[in-house]
Amino acid sequence: MNPSVYPVAIFFAAIFTNNILLTNYLGMCSFLSVSREIKTSLGLGAAVIFVMAVTSALNWIVYEYILIPLDLTYLRYIVFIIVIAAFVQIVEMIIERVSETLYAALGIFLPLITVNCAILGASLFMVIRQYNFLSSFMYGFGSGIGWSIAILAMAGIRQKLKNAKIPRGLEGAGITLIITGMMALAFIGFTGMIKIS
Amino acid sequence: MAAKGKVKKTFLSGLGADNPIFAQVLGICSTLAVTNVLKNTVVMVMGLIFVTSLSNFTISLLRNYIPSRIRMMVETLIIAAYVIIVDIVLKAYVPDISRQLGPYVGLIITNCIIMGRAEAFALSNPVGLSVADGLSAGMGYGYVLIIIAFFRELLGSGSIWGLRVLGSWWTNWFIMVMAPGAFFMLAIFIWVVRGLITEREKEEVKS
Amino acid sequence: MKFKSKQTERMYTVLFMAIVTVVFIAVTSGIYLYTRDKIITNKTLFIKKAVLFAANIDVGDSAKDIEETYKKSIKEIRDADGKLKYMEVYAGGNGKLTGYAVIVTGPGLWGEIEAVLGFDRDLKKMTGIDFIKQNETPGLGARISEKWFREQFRDRMGPFKLVPEGTAKGGNEIDAITGASITSNAVLDIVNRTISNVREIVK
Repeated sequence: MNPSVYPVAIFFAAIFTNNILLTNYLGMCSFLSVSREIKTSLGLGAAVIFVMAVTSALNWIVYEYILIPLDLTYLRYIVFIIVIAAFVQIVEMIIERVSETLYAALGIFLPLITVNCAILGASLFMVIRQYNFLSSFMYGFGSGIGWSIAILAMAGIRQKLKNAKIPRGLEGAGITLIITGMMALAFIGFTGMIKIS
Repeated sequence: MAAKGKVKKTFLSGLGADNPIFAQVLGICSTLAVTNVLKNTVVMVMGLIFVTSLSNFTISLLRNYIPSRIRMMVETLIIAAYVIIVDIVLKAYVPDISRQLGPYVGLIITNCIIMGRAEAFALSNPVGLSVADGLSAGMGYGYVLIIIAFFRELLGSGSIWGLRVLGSWWTNWFIMVMAPGAFFMLAIFIWVVRGLITEREKEEVKS
Repeated sequence: MKFKSKQTERMYTVLFMAIVTVVFIAVTSGIYLYTRDKIITNKTLFIKKAVLFAANIDVGDSAKDIEETYKKSIKEIRDADGKLKYMEVYAGGNGKLTGYAVIVTGPGLWGEIEAVLGFDRDLKKMTGIDFIKQNETPGLGARISEKWFREQFRDRMGPFKLVPEGTAKGGNEIDAITGASITSNAVLDIVNRTISNVREIVK
């Protein structure tokens, strides 16, 4: 494959064929709890896209220029999570000072993000798959979009289900998981559209 | 005696009524991914139990000294350190399985159960109880995953623990090995358990 | 905790975090250093075993066995910069060249697949294949590491083509892995590409 289209392919693959939620199960906790309303899903989705894209790039830099030269790669879990937590904290402080409306819209979601496994997951996958800087950024960005698409679609479906009669024991988590399974099934249809490597 | 009873009660609650998966639906993120192969699941579950109980132990030990403002950071750090230990040990002693688990071992860090137990329990309870709570949450979580993995491997690959048990007449349900299978299996499991629990509660009310 | 002033509280917070960080990093580093050699040996042993499998040389599971057999029957050929070019195989134990092994990489579904391919002395037949690195889906694509899949390539020559699992009838047909078409194709691409240019690698 032509190296220049490579990051673009990774970007689309992260959204469709290798969706971080539907094929790697990451970020399920906030997915299940937040997907009740379209509006909150939208807010969390936007925050995830932003944080995931930036932290993937940041963690790549830290990994490549600090951890590898010092032979500290085994500490990457601690380091990555600290980078993510610190970044989220800084962003929260900045938008709190800069824009009241943005803080009201995004601010409340930021603390939720530090414990979202999808964010750390994106950083770990990028290391294992040995992406370069641009690819890592595109992967983080694409994964964020993919995750947001999944949660938005789920919120849409769940709003329609509000008044539906659901078998006993399946309400809440059960039915959400079944729908997620069907969505994952549908996304398998994208396999082969893009070949990631 | 009273203390002992409390430990027992704490321990049992995680396995039954307060089970992190079917009662709270927590922490299914990372670990669901490995449930298509039973062997990987068992290793992952052992790692998880190790991390939950020891992180609960450490956090409970330090609970009077942790400044509240940075407690999340401290908790994450402690959990991450234990996860690194699990990762290194797997790499050194069971390299084959470590290779297959890949990044999922690292993702134990963000497993909401561990953080949740640390926040909700270890920060305000004595050491012994906290360890019991951590063990119980980990094991309650673990046995659900092992049941799911058992069925996914059986239906998806016709085998258990890598050994073929179903004859050649069996056509593997590959969907079970893939992501949707995990979601369906978990949903069915929650359905069955919750159905049974509500059924029993109804009967108890009647009698 | 009670503090005399805000200043001491802040000091305490910073100090606490620093101590916890140092203690835990020291502990994990200690364990890492203690097991580092073992991890590195595991890695090289794994590669050596893969090379021997591809060269169709039987070897046990013990580390000593693998080391000795590898030393006896594989000679690594490196270029001027010390980079591995290919390996010569001396399987008979009588110092006679019996074949070659090459390490190649190619794209898989989730990441790079690194494989070692063995060939006979005339580069007319493959002696085998094994995988050094692959991040394919456990239970699906990762099944390329199962023995039956790898065994298919022994004593045969491509270019190969894929047929549904369980229907290969010899010749150039290879059983694909059901549910993992992309990984199967990726492996086939690597093998067929290597077959077509192995003469340029081994020179």
